[in-house]
Formats: sequence, C-alpha cells, structure tokens
Amino acid sequence: MTPVEILQLLLFPGLTFFVWLAFLFEWLERKTAARMQGRRGPVVTGPYGVLQPVADFFKLAAKEEIVPTESDSFVLRWGPALYFAAPAIGVAFIPVAGVQSILYDPLDLLFMLFILAFSTLMALMLGYASAGRYSTIAIGRLVVQYTGYEIPLIIAMVTPAVLARNLSIAGVAAAQANLWYIFLAPVAFAVFIIAALAELEKPPFDIPSAKTEIVGGWMTEFSGNTLAYVKLTKNLSYAFLSALAVSLFLGGAGGPVLSANETIQAILYTAYFLAKLFAVGFLIFVIRTALARVRIDQATRLFWTILTPLSLAQLAVAILVVSR
Amino acid sequence: MSDNTEGPHYTESSAGLMEYSAESAMPFGPVHPSLKEPEYFKLILEGERIVQVMPRIGYVHRGIERAAQDRTWVKNVYLVERICGICSFSHSLAYTQGVENLTPFEIPKRGKYLRTVVHELERIHSHLLWLGLIGHWAGFDTLFMWIWKDREHSLDLLEAITGNRVNKSYSTIGGVRKDLPDGMAEKLKTEAGFIEKRLDYYEGLMSSEETFTIRTRGMGRINQEVTRRLSTVGPLLRCTGISRDIRVEDPYAAYDEVIPEVMTSNDGDIASLVTIRLDEARDSCRMIKEAVDKMPSGDFKVNIPRAIPAGESMFHVEAPRGELFYYVKSAGGSTPERVKIRTSTMANILTGVEMLKGHTLADVPVVLTGMDPCFGCMDRVAVLEVDKGKEWSIGGEALRRYGIDYYSKRRGNK
Amino acid sequence: MVRRRVGGAVGEMFRTGLERPVTVEYPFGKKVVTERFRGKLDIDPVKCTGCSICEIVCPAQVITMVPVGKKKVGDREVDIKRPSFELFSCISCGQCVDDCKFGALSLTHDFELAVFKKESTMMRKALVLGK
Repeated sequence: MTPVEILQLLLFPGLTFFVWLAFLFEWLERKTAARMQGRRGPVVTGPYGVLQPVADFFKLAAKEEIVPTESDSFVLRWGPALYFAAPAIGVAFIPVAGVQSILYDPLDLLFMLFILAFSTLMALMLGYASAGRYSTIAIGRLVVQYTGYEIPLIIAMVTPAVLARNLSIAGVAAAQANLWYIFLAPVAFAVFIIAALAELEKPPFDIPSAKTEIVGGWMTEFSGNTLAYVKLTKNLSYAFLSALAVSLFLGGAGGPVLSANETIQAILYTAYFLAKLFAVGFLIFVIRTALARVRIDQATRLFWTILTPLSLAQLAVAILVVSR
Repeated sequence: MSDNTEGPHYTESSAGLMEYSAESAMPFGPVHPSLKEPEYFKLILEGERIVQVMPRIGYVHRGIERAAQDRTWVKNVYLVERICGICSFSHSLAYTQGVENLTPFEIPKRGKYLRTVVHELERIHSHLLWLGLIGHWAGFDTLFMWIWKDREHSLDLLEAITGNRVNKSYSTIGGVRKDLPDGMAEKLKTEAGFIEKRLDYYEGLMSSEETFTIRTRGMGRINQEVTRRLSTVGPLLRCTGISRDIRVEDPYAAYDEVIPEVMTSNDGDIASLVTIRLDEARDSCRMIKEAVDKMPSGDFKVNIPRAIPAGESMFHVEAPRGELFYYVKSAGGSTPERVKIRTSTMANILTGVEMLKGHTLADVPVVLTGMDPCFGCMDRVAVLEVDKGKEWSIGGEALRRYGIDYYSKRRGNK
Repeated sequence: MVRRRVGGAVGEMFRTGLERPVTVEYPFGKKVVTERFRGKLDIDPVKCTGCSICEIVCPAQVITMVPVGKKKVGDREVDIKRPSFELFSCISCGQCVDDCKFGALSLTHDFELAVFKKESTMMRKALVLGK
C-alpha cells in the first residue's frame, strides 16, 4: 500500500468522504421526508440544518453510556467497532473518482456479499449481547427478515456481474460504458432497491427496529457513544448500498469525458457519481416516506413468493442475453 | 379476572407477585412508546401470539371525584374538563347539563346550538387525532403528519371560539360563556367544507394503500356476542353492527334538531373502525354547517344561582369515544355531595383486552389504539364514603331502578 | 369493491413537498394567537374596588385579598382589600374576568410565562390603591 493509497483510503474517496456522505444522506432523508409531510425538517444547525446529523452524533457521544448488568458489556462496548468496520471497508472497493477504486480484487463482488452478511451478523450479535426483552424479540425478527431478503439481494447483485462477465465492482462499473444495466435488467434494480430497504431497516421493512412496538429494536440497550456509532454505521450502510446500486446498475462514476486534465476529470467523475448517488437516494426516500410498515410474516411472504422468483427470472434472462 | 379455567394458570407467590406457568409473560407498559397514557398490560405470550391479557389500571388515578366534593359547582367545571384533554368538552358538557337538570332552569336555544357546534368540533379533532395515530402505529408516518396538519384547522377554530385549544372552558352552568365571534359563522362553514374534502382524500388513501390495510384489515375482530357480553360503547360497539348513539337515542343540546347519522359497520375489525370514525368526522362537518345555518339568535346563557337544589341527576353524552356518564348528587349546598363519572374507556377496556387475544406482539399498538384508549379518563375508583357519621352506598339494583324511573319521567314530561 | 394499490400517497407527497411547509417557526417567528386566546392575567388597578368576588370564584385559588388600608363605612372602620395574584397556579380559565362586575380583570395574549423564580410570578400591582 503506497502512502497515496492509504491517504485515499482514509480521506478521499475512502472513509472520511463516505462518512460525510452518510451524514449528508441522513440530512437529505430527513429534509425530503419532512417537506413531503408538510413540515420543515432540521433548520437550526448549519444552513438549512445540514449539520444536524453531525450535531446528533456529537450529542450522543457526549452522553453517558448505560450498560445493563445482564448484558455482555464487552460486546456491547466494542461490538459497534466491528459493526462499523463492515461498510467502512466496503466503500473502499467502490469506484468514485474514476474507473478505478482504491482497493481492487478480481472477486470483490463476492467480498461485498460477505460484508453485507457480516454486518447483519454483527447486528445480531449486538442485539443478542444486549439481553433485553425487546432486543430478543428484535433479533428474532431480524433473522427472519434476513433470511427473506438475502437471497433476492444476492441474485440481484449477481445479475449485473453476469451481464458484465466480471466479478469485481470496478469491472462491472466499467463495463457499463455503453449502456447502463438498469435498462438491461430493470427488474434486478427494483429487487435490489427493495431488498436494500430491508437491509437498512427502512419502512416498509423496519420491523426489527420498529420504534412504536419494541421501543428501539435491537438498538434498545445502546446509549451514548456506542449508539452514536451504531447510527453512523446505519447511515454509512445507507450510503454504501446506494453506492453499490450506482456502481452495479447506473454505470458507477462513468460519464462523458470532457477534459484531458486528469484532476478535472476526476472531479467530473465524482460529480457524476454524486449525482447518481443522490438520485438513488432520493428514490429510496420517496419509497420510504410513502409506505407503512408491514408485519414480519407479510414481509417474508413478499420476499419468498414474489421477489425471489422475480430475481431468478431476471437472472435467467440475463444469462440468455449474455450467452447469445 | 377471566372466567375461563383453561389457558395459562397463575398463582400468587408469597411476595404477592404473579407467576405464570409455561408461557412467557411480557409486560406492556405502564411506560411504553405506544401508549399515550400509562397503563399496565401483562401480555401472556406463546411464541409471538398473545393468549391472555391482564390489565391493571389505576396509574392515572388523581382522585378527581373526591376533589369535586370540595369545590363549588362552577369550580368543578374546570376540574372535570381536565380529566381528559381530547374529550375535555364532553366532560364539562355532561357535568353542566347534569347540574342544570337539578335546577328548574332551561337553557336558551342558542346556548344549546353553540354547545353542539363545539361538541362536534371536538369530535372532529378527536377522530382526526385517532386516525393519525393509527397511521403512526402502523408505521405510516406520512399519513400521521398529514392528518394532524389538517387537524390544526379544527383546533384553530376551537381557539377562535373558546379561547384555548384543549381545555376549552366553554360550557358553564347555565349555557356557554361566550357567543361566536364576528365572522365565525362563515368561517365555520368554509373550514368544515375544507375538512370534509380532506377526509374524502384520506378515505381513499386509507382504504386502498396496501401496506396500511394489511395492518388493519381483519385485526382485532370482535362480534356482537363480545360487545353484548362486555357492555361496549361508542364506535367500538357500532363497528359490530349495533346501531346505538346517545345523540340519537337520548338527544341533548341541539341534537333533536340537528340529527346525527349513526354509522355502523358489520366487520368488527380495525379497518371498519377507521371507516366509522372517518364517516363520523365527516358527518360532524355536515352537522356543524347545519347548526350554523339553523342557529337561533338570542341569549346564550341563563344565570343560575350558586346553590343548586338538592337531588340526584344522571346525564350521559356521546363523547368521541363512546358514552360518557355522569351522576351528580346535590344536598342543596354550594358544593356537590357526590360526582360519579363513568367514562367510555372504562367500559371498553375489557373489550380492548378481548380484541388483543390471538394477535402477535406486532399488532398490539394498532389493536389497542383501535379501542381509542384514554386512560386519563378511565381511572375512577368507586368511593364509598362515610359522610358525617352516616354511611351510604347505592346498590346496583337500586341504581338501575332509579335510572329507569328517572328517564321514563323525563321522557314523559317532554 | 376495494382498490388495492401500493404507494398511493406519492402524488400527494410531491404536491405537499412543493408547497410551503406549515411549521410555525416559533421562536424564530412570531406565533399568532387568536383574538380570544386566554393568556396571562392582568388587572387594571383603577377599576378594582376590592369586592373580593374574584377570590371567591377562582378555581385554582390564585387570588388572595390583602388589606392595604382602612376606610370608614358608616361608623365602623373596615379594611380596604386589594387582590394579590399568584400567577404560577393560574389556569387562565377566565372565571374571575367573567365575574368581575367592574371589568378590572382581563386575559392578555401573553403565553411565554416561564420564569426562573417562582416569586416573580406574583402580581401585586393592584395593591397600590388606584385612584
């Protein structure tokens, strides 16, 4: 790892960039949801309330951490670090400022699948270590929902890889130079978005952390610093999954080459990436605001009986298209 | 508490705690995000299904019936309207009319019409609140925000007429305290029309949005057998097909001239409760417009002397949640001897508990809100007091006989 | 016949999103109250005659009549009383306003009533005899 790569990993377009994107995503979500409901959203901190998620993070970090006695306090205190590490390392594989990502591996799409599974496993572990009544119910629901959405998500992610004949994210993004895969495999995109909503626990699939039923879901027993990081990780996975959607279906950072200068071109690529990212984010905000929460058995019914066959059918179509 | 001997058994241990066998017991409350007021429900679960519910009430007991005995008749109006924020005017209306029945005075017509208008405005606000809450518990926050945005129109109207949004302090013994402000009659009609249009939109949305209806359709199903056995009141009774409404059966205020339409449904589930309350709110808009048109001019208040003649009086009104029943006893002095309040949630709590059986934990907030609980209203404990060395109590049979005689005399006099 | 669809709220969402939000920007903007809003109590000392009716009718027992002088009625000397208000407990019901025959009491539109010390909610301006 050259020093330049390390700097890139830490600052741009790696961790720091994505953490700020995570804050920005939360702000955008709150603002658009509020406007669509007739309210204002955050207004006080920063211009138009942009700094509100940052303020929330620091406020939580300043609060006292209350650890229940019957919980596993070691896991509760240090588990969120592992939970944060999963999407944090994942973002390094996404090409942001060009056709290359910071870290590259010919099989890194499979690594992405592992990261998604890993972060759910971490959530499970954190909920289990909480040993509270509400957390126990929540992790039961989390596991059930996980078994539901994981298969359509994996199939939807593999479909662009089949179309691109390439198992790395940068490779899939680069292969869309002529035509974005959202037009070739729209069903896969739709399935990916819906399964991503379930992964992120956003309405209509926010059963595991349903505020009105089981208090806080598996995050109930968290407070203070750990809660700040858990929330940051949720926002980071939000940005991460949207970035995945952009790379797999919308051509990554690709776009018209308008300048021969490398730096300016890199900025242009980042701009393309951000525009597509916010478009996907906006789509998720709208879906999230427009729907109510479904029950766990209704969600699993949706995933197993509708989404899985749909994604399989789309995969079959993609294989046919590619092998022609 | 329950009369079935099968199901989970519980024994009281020496520490006075209740232990349950086999199935797990999940406490719901008293402090829970999905309860507006504290109430304790012990849910006995098998896996995720609820098989038995033990409610324990009394967390919001404030001793209002006892406090009412120390205050004068007019001061009590302010006391009883603070029993509940949502049905505040219904409480003060029932109390003032109960007291007025002890006197030989008759309320002027305009006073009755004004009371009707504010009563219906309160019904609109209460039903809109409930509809928003059902959206919120089902996870549909957008609907919650929109409905409460429109509810602000009714609250602004109430503030313009009575001076406050919640504790309206509008009814007094003898009529109402103030007349309508200038231009309010027209404004009432336009705002009522606006709310009616919005309710049409919400009816379309709430009956068709799939993610919402699968949370409400078929939930909390009750039938006429349950409601007859457990003496349900209000929309919860009407959703099983029994058409009973105090405003129609025993008209008070101006309801003999502005006649409400009783909404019923045969389904008995939460979705039918949504429809019934929506329709009732729309009907209230219609009644407000009609009452404003028919309102006679003249006095709105009659002066009643401070000492109320001795006697007993019972009065019931149709609060937004159901039948609200007041018993007032006077010994001829300036303070009441006894005020007994039976609110609609008190009558509905067992039905609400019955609705919960067989559901999973995820449905508890939606189903429990379906009965429109107002635990602030509910906690009354019967007081048998030793008054001045003489012990009196009224038995159930004597009370029932008295009620029949009282109402037959009233109807005979009309 | 029941229509079943998902996402029926989207049209209204976009329409609401383009409208002005209804949030009142209090405290950065002024909250407008209606004409009849019942806020903080106020007394006009000139009109008060010390008849004590307000003390009798107040539900929250906010008013205490305080002797501030003496006057002659017939051949007896009686106290002149004026009301002192403990506005901390006042519920702004307006019963004293309705019952004061001289129109000395009124309810203002002031609703920002939080104070640091309970003593500063005592209103004693009527104790100065207004003549």
